[in-house]
This record gives sequence, C-alpha cells and structure tokens, in this order.
Amino acid sequence: MSRTAKILSLLFIAFWVLTAFVPALIAPADPLAINPSQAFQAPSGAHIFGTDESGRDVFTRVIHGAGDSLYIGLAATALGMGLALVLGTAAALAPRWLDEVILRVLEALYSVPSLLMALLIIAFTGPGVGPAIVAVGLSTAPGYARLVRSQIRTLKNSEMLEAATVLGRGTWRKVRNHLVPNALQPLLALVTLGIGQAVIWAAALSFLGLGTPPPAPEWGAMLSAGRTYLHLAWWLSFFPGLAIVVVAAGATLIGRALGGKVKAI
Amino acid sequence: MNPLLAVENLCVSFAGQHAVDAVSFELNAGECLALVGESGSGKSVTARSLLGLSGGRVSAEKLVVCQEDALTLTEPAWQKIRGSSVVMILQDALMALDPLRPVGREIEDVLKEHGTLNRAARSTKVLEALASVDLPDPERRMKQRSTQLSGGMRQRVLIAQALIGDPQIVIADEATTALDSRLAALVLKQLAALKDEGRAVLMISHDLAQVAQLADRIAVMRSGKIVESGTTEQILNHPQHEYTRTLLRAIPSGVPRFAPLSTKAITSEPRQLPPTDPDATPALVVENLSKSFSRHPAVIEAGFVLPRGSTLGLVGESGSGKTTTARMILGLERPDAGSVTLLGERFAPHGEAARRNLRENIGAIYQNPLGSFDPRYSVGQILTDALSAGRSKRGSGYKDQVARLLEQVELDPDLSGRNPRELSGGQRQRLAIARALAPEPQVLVLDEPVSALDVSIQATVLDLLDRLQQETETSYLFISHDLSVIEHMSDLVAVMYQGRIVEQGSTAEVFGDPQHEYTRSLLTAMPRLR
Repeated sequence: MSRTAKILSLLFIAFWVLTAFVPALIAPADPLAINPSQAFQAPSGAHIFGTDESGRDVFTRVIHGAGDSLYIGLAATALGMGLALVLGTAAALAPRWLDEVILRVLEALYSVPSLLMALLIIAFTGPGVGPAIVAVGLSTAPGYARLVRSQIRTLKNSEMLEAATVLGRGTWRKVRNHLVPNALQPLLALVTLGIGQAVIWAAALSFLGLGTPPPAPEWGAMLSAGRTYLHLAWWLSFFPGLAIVVVAAGATLIGRALGGKVKAI
Repeated sequence: MNPLLAVENLCVSFAGQHAVDAVSFELNAGECLALVGESGSGKSVTARSLLGLSGGRVSAEKLVVCQEDALTLTEPAWQKIRGSSVVMILQDALMALDPLRPVGREIEDVLKEHGTLNRAARSTKVLEALASVDLPDPERRMKQRSTQLSGGMRQRVLIAQALIGDPQIVIADEATTALDSRLAALVLKQLAALKDEGRAVLMISHDLAQVAQLADRIAVMRSGKIVESGTTEQILNHPQHEYTRTLLRAIPSGVPRFAPLSTKAITSEPRQLPPTDPDATPALVVENLSKSFSRHPAVIEAGFVLPRGSTLGLVGESGSGKTTTARMILGLERPDAGSVTLLGERFAPHGEAARRNLRENIGAIYQNPLGSFDPRYSVGQILTDALSAGRSKRGSGYKDQVARLLEQVELDPDLSGRNPRELSGGQRQRLAIARALAPEPQVLVLDEPVSALDVSIQATVLDLLDRLQQETETSYLFISHDLSVIEHMSDLVAVMYQGRIVEQGSTAEVFGDPQHEYTRSLLTAMPRLR
C-alpha cells in the first residue's frame, strides 16, 4: 500500500468509527424529531440531504444510522470469522475422519446461498438487530471456515513448521508463534472485504423489514421506507444507498490493498 | 559458408536496463557454441532473442538467423521460423509440456503447424522421432501425458519435439540442469548426435564441466556481456579473464577435501580434521530404516554410521529416497521400521516429547531456505528464535550472539534488521546455516544445500561449510544429487538407488573402485575437468 493509500484508509476508518460512536458530533440534531411542515424538502443549505415524509433530516438520519449498520456488519463478520476460526482450525488439525465430517457439514451449509440461509434463520428467530447479526454471521461462517482450514493445512505442512520442529519447538509454541499469526495475516484482508459484504446484507435484511425495526435510522430500512416516495423524493433512498455503497466500496478497496500486501509477502 | 547464426552487438533492454549488452558471436552448421554464465548473466535472454521471444527491446548491428535478417522479422514470420529452422529445448520439461495432453499430440502440433502431412503420416513421424531419442516403448509413451513420464523421458520427449521439424539450429537452455548425471549424459549424447548431423547447437548453461564435453567454443557471460570467448581447450586450460578462472576454480570435482573452491576462502592450505577416535560413540547410527507411502516403498532398509566430526555424503537421483531418509533421521517422518541413534541415544522412532531435549544436537539445512523461515521474521528475529531454542537459554540479550553467528557465516551483522526476502540466494543459505548452528548441534543434516545456487556462490557456501566443520567439529550428513559436490565434501559416501543404499564406503573407495552397477554408471557419466 502506498503512503497516500494508507493515510486515506486510516482517515476513512477514523471517520466511520467516529460517526458510529458519536454521531451527534457530525449531526447534532435528533434523528427521530419529526416536523411535518418540513416534509419532502429537497436537498438545500438547511437540509443538505433533504427531509423525509415526516420532515426528519435525512443527513442526520444517515449519520445516526451508521451505528446500527456498521454494528450489524462488524458483529456479524466477527461472529462468522470467530466460528470459522474454530471450525477451520479444528478441521485442519483434527484426525482425518473428523476433518471429513466437518468438511461435509461445511459444504452442505455452503451450498445454501448465504442470504437465503439468513432468511431461513430469521424465519425461526423473528426479526431484530440480534437475529440479523446471527443470521449474517452464521451464513458467512462456512465460506470463511473453508479458507481458514486450507490456510492452516498449507502452513501445517510448511518447511517453516518443520524447521521449528527440528529446533525442538513444542506444538503449542509452533501454533502460537508461527501458525496462527501467519494464517491470520491473509484473513485480515478477507475480514475487511467481508465487512463490506456484511453491511450490504444487514441493509438487505432491514430493507426487507427483518433487521432494525422502524423508526430507528438504519440504512437498509431508510432505503426501503424511501422506496414508496421514489417518484417525488429521490433523496430519501439515494443518500442511505450512497452510504452503503461508500462503506462497502471503501471496505472492499482496503481489503484488496491489504490482500495485495499479503500476496507480496 | 555463411554462418547459421550471426550476432553482432546485440543489446536487449528491459525498462531501460540492459540485460544483454553488446554481445557478438557466430555459429556455423555442425558446430556447438556454449554460452556459460550464472543466473542474471543474460544468457537466456540472449537465447530467447534469437527466437524473437526476449520480450524486451532488442537492437543489434546484425542479427541473422538462418539467412534471415531477424531484426526485420514480423511475428508471423517468426512463427514460421520457430520450430522449423530454430528450436529451443527448455530446462523444465514438466512445465514445457501440457499436462492434460498426450505427449505424442504435443509433438504432432509442430508438424501440423509447419507441414502438410496427413494424420497417419504424422503419427508415424512422431513415433520415429520418439524412437530416435531412445525413448523406450514409444508407442505406449506417445499416448501418455507428461506427468506419467519420468524426468529423463520428458526431457527426451522435448528433444523429439524439437527435432521433428528438422531444424538447422537447436538451442538447449539448461536442458541438462534438472537431470542426474546419467540422464544428463544421455541428453548430451543426443545433442552430440545433432551436431554430427550438421545442425548448429547453442548450449546455454551455468555448468562449465558439462558443456566442455560437447562445445567446440565457449563464451563466458557476466552481467550481460561476453567477458571471454574461445575454443573449449583455450577456455579450460588457458583462461584469460579472472571471472572465467573463478568459475573454473568453483567446480568441486577432483578438488581435495577442505581445499578452497572460492577466492574468498581464507585458508589456502588444505587442512585435515584431527583423526577421530574409532571407539567414540558415532554421531549418528542409522539402522534398517524403511518407509512406504501408500504401499509404495520409498526407503528400504537404509543403514549407515556417521562418525563424529566427519561428513557422510548421501548421493542419488531425485526420487531415490534421500530426502525421506533425511526426514526420518530428523524425526519428521515416522519410520515403518528401523531406528536412528543420535550420539548414543535413541532418536527415532520415539515420542516427540521424549525426543525434544535431544533436538538441540541435530540441525537441518534445506535446499530452499526461504520456505523454512517465518515470513514475518527479520534476520535477527530468526536467529534469536533459534538461539532461544538451544543451549544458551538466557531469555534475552541475544544481540551479541546474533552478531557473532552472522560473522561466523560471513554475513554483515548489519543485515539483522532485514527480511530474508531481501537477501540473495547465497546469503539466505548462509542465514539458514547460521540458524542451524545457533543451538550448537553435533550433527547437521544438509539436504541439497547448494543445489539452487550458482556455481561461484556454491563454491563460497561449500568453503564456509568446510571451515565451520573444522572449527566446530560438527558431523555432516550431506545429501546431494551432484557427484562432484559429494566427492569434494565427503569422507564417506553412501549411494542410494530406488530406495536402497546400494553401496557405501570411504570416498576414495567408492569413487575409485565402484562395486555396484549403478554407481559405475553414475561415475562414468560424471563430467570431469581435472
């Protein structure tokens, strides 16, 4: 990664972290405050993203929505990757038969499209932020787990670990000093890519009314709510959509750059 | 008679950097010229530009290939010439052949491209070509894929493919490098036959001893320039340029044990190890080691004794079981039968936990050192890690010891902050040696430690290993397919063939009076300059 790219990535991450944790710093107004007399105002100096059908400021809602959207995205990725690490490592280091069993289960899960699986999970749990996290997290886990497994398997048979064995290193030390750090590095890029994807899925679930319940500002839910008025107020859907695109594209670009760095190693 | 190849002031540059710089030579029919140089000398780029394949910016005062002015040739015109007038035999036959197609079809492609023969006539010609390179059972082999053939067979298939278009010029780019001496001799014989048929042969190689058997003239290349050229006799016996002398001196065959191969070596007098006490516990005793992989035997009842402070050379072609033997000795592979005793204590088969405190007595060096380093570690971290595994368990303060180790292997202590990826091949191998020495082992297992290095670098690494052995009296198990390296480095030699040790004894005995048929064939094929 070039210096400029690094600085830009850090600024990008810093901006969204700030937005997620202290949205009031950027948009001090109340995201839920309604003002019917100000409904459907086009973007202007007073409301740079315009207002919605209840006169709520769209800019304020997009900024305050970052918290929920990013929270679902991050938490879901963390859950998926956490599960994947456990399953993938277990499969890679387990005896052959257990590896086969885990692998078959993962393949079966992997064969179901992720979003479909997420919908299936929500069908059991009912809608909400927690179920959305679980749904997205569980549906991404099989893909990650297969990658973790192959990563660790490759490393397990590497000359690097043999060299450590010849030096008299014990299993625990080999896992801690060589296996895990070297396996995690390429996964870091994958996780960053995955966050972008998870944000989109979280928004998709909310769009379908299965994630964050209204009137809380969440990008997918806002997108869905704005859909009704698309012909007279394009800004209702456009700006939350833009936020999703920016976050997903940003995460993807950073992930790619990290991936490139890993490959260079 | 016009020369088939005439090159005058050939320059090839990549992004403004000259890879080949003002190279001139001629090649006549029935003649063999060898371009000799180390990696990065520009020899392969020179060869590729004769086929219009250099991929760089080519300029020359004259570049005539088979009476055609190659400087003006367009890509379609090149395609006509390639395969019919000029052909190239590549080093890696496995990469050069499509793994998904039968080799016969691969050869037939050349005929389809350049000829008008029908299907039946083509396949007769393919059969003839395969038979002409002494491929056993050509009818069966032509239907097989490259992955089903042995290395030597694949190389012969490539030669058959090269010859089927009846070319006037044959370029052999390191065509014998990956082969053991027997197969290399076979390929050289084929090339010699081509020369006798009146074709021009351009050999590209790093190995002076090998090209000397065939070449009429030799041109020595370094950093894109020809530093010296002349008849083979002149180059070998009266080298003028210092670099040619360095290359010649670096050839280990016939050089007495402990005599330096590189100019860098400090000692000029060959020294001898102090005689070892015959009653002392041997460094390593290997008894009846056997190992099979899915019922296919890899090592069969291998056994030998490595006395303290001496070197045992284990020699054999690829696939003969050398590396599996080394892995069993290092406790990386569990033997099916047999045992390994290290300094009088049982080492394998043994539980890893029980074996662990014996591990500091045995170290290993691999052919590809980079793969054996943690990619996240710097040079200093690699050595610190190795030091903390050894006897000097002090917890911290390894800095002086790291510097001392680096000095011991003649590396600049300032390198300790670098990542091994930034080091050259020779430096990486020195680092691997430093790491192996860190726990102060009594035995080092060296698996093809210099096979990936250029001859002059190989010479400095071998000299270093010699010096370290004299200083530390470490015992070496030295594994190599290269007979000349084994001859120079070993006190004792064991010859491995198809999983068995077929012959062993002192170096003088085995090289002077080989008993086994395989050893004899290896030695006859071995190129010698001295």
